[in-house]
Amino acid sequence: MPSGMPNPFVLWLILSVALGAAAWFGIRKELRWRAILYGSFLIACGVAIWPPYAQGDQQGKIHLGLDLRGGIHLVLQVVTDDALNVTVDDAVATTREQAATKSITFADAHRIDSTSFAVDGVEPARVKDMRLLLKDFFREWDVRDAGEGKFVVAMPDVMVKDLRNKTVDEAVRTLENRVNQLGVSEPIIARTGSQGDQILVQLPGVKDVEQAKRIIQKTAQLVLKLVEGEPATSREALLDRTGGKVPDNMEVVQGSGPTAGQPVFYLVRREAIISGRDLKNTRVSVNENNEPAVSFSLTPIGADRFRRETARNVGRRLAIVLDGTVTNAPTIREQISGEGQISGGFTTQEADELSKQLRAGALPATLRPLQELSVGASLGRDSIRSGVMASAAAMAFITVFMLVYYRFSGVNAVVALTANLLILLGAMAYSGATLTLPGIAGVILTVGVGVDTNVLVFERIREELRAGKTVKAAVKNGFERVWITILDTHATALIAAAFLFQFGTGPIKGFAVTLVMGLVANVFASYFVSKFLFEWVLGSGTSTAPAQFSI
Amino acid sequence: MLEILKNPQFDFLSKARYFIGASILIILGGLAYMLSTHTYMGRNPKGYGVEFSGGTQVIAKFSTPPEVDHVRAAVNAVDSNAVIQIFGPPAEGRVLIRLAATSASETVLDADVQAVRQALDARYPENRVVEVSSEVVGPVVGADLRKKAVMLTLFGLIFQLIYIAIRFKGAIWGAAATIAVFHDVLVTLAILAFCHYEMTLNIIAALLTLVGYSVNDTIVIFDRARENLRLKRKESLRQILNDSLNQTLTRTLISNGVTFLSVLGLFLFGGEVLRGFGFTMVVGILVGTYSTIYIASPIVIWWEGHKDGAPRPASNTVKAAL
Repeated sequence: MPSGMPNPFVLWLILSVALGAAAWFGIRKELRWRAILYGSFLIACGVAIWPPYAQGDQQGKIHLGLDLRGGIHLVLQVVTDDALNVTVDDAVATTREQAATKSITFADAHRIDSTSFAVDGVEPARVKDMRLLLKDFFREWDVRDAGEGKFVVAMPDVMVKDLRNKTVDEAVRTLENRVNQLGVSEPIIARTGSQGDQILVQLPGVKDVEQAKRIIQKTAQLVLKLVEGEPATSREALLDRTGGKVPDNMEVVQGSGPTAGQPVFYLVRREAIISGRDLKNTRVSVNENNEPAVSFSLTPIGADRFRRETARNVGRRLAIVLDGTVTNAPTIREQISGEGQISGGFTTQEADELSKQLRAGALPATLRPLQELSVGASLGRDSIRSGVMASAAAMAFITVFMLVYYRFSGVNAVVALTANLLILLGAMAYSGATLTLPGIAGVILTVGVGVDTNVLVFERIREELRAGKTVKAAVKNGFERVWITILDTHATALIAAAFLFQFGTGPIKGFAVTLVMGLVANVFASYFVSKFLFEWVLGSGTSTAPAQFSI
Repeated sequence: MLEILKNPQFDFLSKARYFIGASILIILGGLAYMLSTHTYMGRNPKGYGVEFSGGTQVIAKFSTPPEVDHVRAAVNAVDSNAVIQIFGPPAEGRVLIRLAATSASETVLDADVQAVRQALDARYPENRVVEVSSEVVGPVVGADLRKKAVMLTLFGLIFQLIYIAIRFKGAIWGAAATIAVFHDVLVTLAILAFCHYEMTLNIIAALLTLVGYSVNDTIVIFDRARENLRLKRKESLRQILNDSLNQTLTRTLISNGVTFLSVLGLFLFGGEVLRGFGFTMVVGILVGTYSTIYIASPIVIWWEGHKDGAPRPASNTVKAAL
């Protein structure tokens, strides 16, 4: 709240009290309370809108949609199978370890698909022990004895569903963290899609679209793993040392070598010493060769483990693996405690992005882009201009027409339309709904519906006057008779708008929002406010002749 | 008192059969046109915007207004079937480039956008691209959205029918209003197809809104007919509906005229994005006004007449139906 501008509530109270005082003395008794009620409501809407658009460092109260402000809109699918695969892989590793500690031998353990794994060729004497082990460690899973020393362990559907759900939630949280670092105001990050496995990301006003997309989509899975022996220039050369087969607790990871285009292969332990979860903070720094690097500090638990493992493995290499690729693999020279550094030929910008991604945490699964929309800021500005132009043209035309055709009652209609717009915009400002370009079209249509309500009432009053009723009776009957019609027309329009809502976010939702709010505002403005104005102007006398009443 | 019409007494319903015939012809012709050209309908339909069909759309702003031919020459390298057109006022220097879904992969969706941008920068260096807006939609998403749009439009119609049927305590009133609305949607679609408008989300929104408007119009007249049925029990339903049409005629002309001119403003001044929306509303309001008078009311009369097996339905029966 800027200095010099009173608190909106206080402002509303002051204006309402002033209005109340004026109404008390200026308006006759039976209309007084309605005047105060309607007036203070309209004042509240006016206060809610102010200031409507951004002035200096103060944000406007009307939130503009992406199509009017510029920015990006992404729909990403979370490949939840990734997370399931990791879980099953972990389960296979656990089975291997536990079988080893209980010295149960078996031929093979491998993942079948993203939700199950198999253990083959368990030695006949220990099949029972293996069954117990599996049942013990995988209580929630379905352990099936396939006979002949074979077991199939599968996640039940409930667990799969739960895990997929958690994966998407975690991805949403990670994206929120990352987007916070981009410094975007009013970002939207929400689950969407019929399966609930899609994430919608809206970043209004983003300048560097490419950078924003990179930061959002990179998995940024960091692990530190111990290297067995020295790296080799080919996979085969590496595996020659271990007899052509990757040992059970090891895996081969590729990294870029000293010369570009020539990869280097590392044999590393499967089990990570440090993972992304152990990071406390990261920052951009430089390494000993003055190249950009990312320094990280560890959480107390991570630091403990890091100290213990580095002390035990001085002289060996430690591979820093980012998204499945070794960025660098320095030799451990001494015990390292809570700090480390990743370098690997980054540019300063890359180091900065990596630092942000690591700080925000890794994504639990790959994100597959389904839809991308980027709107340039100048296109948004031009859209606002044409939208406002069209609205202004419509308003001006309607005002002139109503004043010419209905004369004094036309003033009533124009007041009602203005009240309608005030309520519509106030409701949008208050609820934080966004105004999109189709939303502006919705505003124009709202004005159209408002005119229709006025015309319905006015034409009916004219009819009653023609039938020889007094002005007061004509107005009273006119409003009463069209009430049901107004209710019906608004209800059907609301049904149409409700279906537009189902299109989810984006410009069309903005259209539905303005349409719904506009319809509700219209009933109040074009019916109740208009009725009040007529009653106020007609006064309490009964002798008003039709000729004196201008409609 | 300024009046457009003084106490109108038109006989709207005597000519109804000719208008219904004309409407049926237009709808059948429109359907034949859309099916034969595969516009909006049939297998592998054409005429859908990028959000429904999938693909890439780039709006490039040049520092000075470009020549479409130069842009086409540059973009040909990326996709020789690209659609290129000036977007918005020529002075703003924007060009819309539309490509079919080609090089979108699992992980990179905007490869085409980058390719277009590079091609423009390389082949057209004297006039820089200063801003790029783009929309890229994967093919699956587009097809899903298309299904959703059709479903939502249909359900929107059905729920409005249910509402009217309940309010008027008679399915025929709801059915008549709905047939009139289907008529409006089909005629509008045919005109959109004929004028080569791309089916976009904005146009779907306009169609749904126009459904609401058309139903509105019908309700105003039906409400009046219901009131008249209560007051003038002696008269035939046909007479009552014709009176109701005349009584609400001024309102129909003013309200629809005002809304028509507002959306005409939208069509003319609302900018490129809202042009399709504006056009659909302009057409829709004209068609909707016509259908209220010449389609919805005759259906009610025809049905109520046939129900009794008499040309002039007894007003008691009609009252019972209300």
